[in-house]
Amino acid sequence: MTPAAPRSPDHLTLALPKGRILEEAVALLARAGLPLTLPEKSRALRHEFPGVTVLELRNQDVPVYVDLGVADAGIVGKDVLIESGRTVYEPVDLGFAACHLSLIREVGASGPIGRVATKYPRSARAYLAARGIPAEVVKLSGNIELAALTGLADAVVDLVQTGSTLRANHLEEIDVLYHSSARLVVNRAALKLRRERLRPLIERLRELTGSGRPGTATDGE
Amino acid sequence: MSLPPRPAPLTRAVPEGTRDVLPPEWAWREHLRTRLAGVFAAWGYRGVEVPALEFAAPDHPQSARAFKLIDTGGEVLALRSEFTTAVGRLVRARFPEGPFPLRLQYGGRLWLRTLTSELGRLREFGQVGVELIGVATPQADAELLRLGTRALETVGVRAVMEVGYPGFLDAVLEDAGLDVDARDALHDAIDRKSGADVDLLAAAHGLGAGVTATLHTLTDLYGGPEVLAQAAALARGERARAAVAHLEAVAALCEPGLLFDLGASRRYGYYTGITFRAYAEGLNQPVLGGGRYDLGGLPGAGFAIGLERLTEVTAANLPPEPELVLALDPAGADLARAAGIVAELAWTDDREALLTYCRRRGIRRWARGNTLTEVTA
Repeated sequence: MTPAAPRSPDHLTLALPKGRILEEAVALLARAGLPLTLPEKSRALRHEFPGVTVLELRNQDVPVYVDLGVADAGIVGKDVLIESGRTVYEPVDLGFAACHLSLIREVGASGPIGRVATKYPRSARAYLAARGIPAEVVKLSGNIELAALTGLADAVVDLVQTGSTLRANHLEEIDVLYHSSARLVVNRAALKLRRERLRPLIERLRELTGSGRPGTATDGE
Repeated sequence: MSLPPRPAPLTRAVPEGTRDVLPPEWAWREHLRTRLAGVFAAWGYRGVEVPALEFAAPDHPQSARAFKLIDTGGEVLALRSEFTTAVGRLVRARFPEGPFPLRLQYGGRLWLRTLTSELGRLREFGQVGVELIGVATPQADAELLRLGTRALETVGVRAVMEVGYPGFLDAVLEDAGLDVDARDALHDAIDRKSGADVDLLAAAHGLGAGVTATLHTLTDLYGGPEVLAQAAALARGERARAAVAHLEAVAALCEPGLLFDLGASRRYGYYTGITFRAYAEGLNQPVLGGGRYDLGGLPGAGFAIGLERLTEVTAANLPPEPELVLALDPAGADLARAAGIVAELAWTDDREALLTYCRRRGIRRWARGNTLTEVTA
């Protein structure tokens, strides 16, 4: 184990996913008062700011870093969080990166569902089990729609944002498993030990996103 | 001397989740175990040992995760998966009349079939802990919080103790008129402090704005002593008020610095009173966990400390190993040992072999007769 560099006790380490969410996350966190700027395109994976370290990760890895306490907090989609099965706090729904996880079939398909392809095996299994559908779940890594079109699977469970990919490929949503959006996630011990820094951040993010408090605007899902 | 033996090819030598413990970790762990047992003993906690083999019981709290074995008569046995249940059995069988309060300490290995993130990838691990049985007063809870803090201090860990009370959350939900199903679902969402999931569940169960606002308050009910005042404002019914009064009494008996989280409700069906965890400063992982439960009709409370995690946390401030010398005769060995130095006896007169050994083991001095001299070629 590499010893961590000496830091002030209230130093924050944040786990953020690469790509589009990173831009929105940095912008939002900067508006919430953290001294962050979007890291320049580089090979660096760890970015240092005054009092804050940002770890740039694959989104599936964000819950792992936060649960194991290497990062104090992070931002990740609810879909990835559910699929990870990690027990972290998720005090703020940040609202962006909205999408839903759906059961999808070819338009008009009506036969029994014997095999389901997905990037989300945990969610797919839970959904199928809850409905008593004894289908096999096949884990794939990308272009899930193709599994339904080629007959690899009778249905797929995948994320839908606008639905245009579905329409273009003659597919339709049969059912919605759940709605997802980006969440602030926090390590269980860090929320308590670093609450002087994290509580104001949580409050500010709630104000900025108008989420999680009754009486404020809620999403219209 | 011949070439060192070639290392054996890496094979699956031990089952997943088990491991060999090597020096110096073994010595560190024994040091910690001894220091902790010493503190527990000084507070009146007498040691007991319970078998590693138990009768499998479906109502055991870890039943689904324990290793099972078949005994010669066909009976199903389980490898010990936690200590509290076993100590409870021991107390009912061996100390039915007490005298109470009964203070016991235990230590040993535990096994779980499934991996958990809290334990890393370990399926065999060591714990030490205490049980304070037969009383349920605030004084008893406070004693455990103080003992836990003191025990960790003794091994150089500055810890913050956080107290929860899952029954408080359940009582507030009950007072809000929620049925058991709604409560079960909300316990989990509130424990994860997920405002978004609270909103979803509130909509699914048709809860009003006032109740939903209370649920959101519960997700934020953590921090210092100010939390108890906020909790008192939320407590409507008898159960909730009694929980807050109990926590206030416990806090008054402890040193300042306690944290509270009244939204915490992990395993709320198991705990009958307070729950608590100690976080080592600067480390995002708990090093001690405990609470109050029912030990088959007797009130019990206690905590356990995981030795693997503690060894990791304390590795930096453990005492250095004593110097090791090579003794060329028994008199030299006696001389070194009398001075608190570890002495190994020379096994040969072959000076070359002894020099090679000293170099490889980092031995700088040897002892002969009544002198200690630098190792020289």
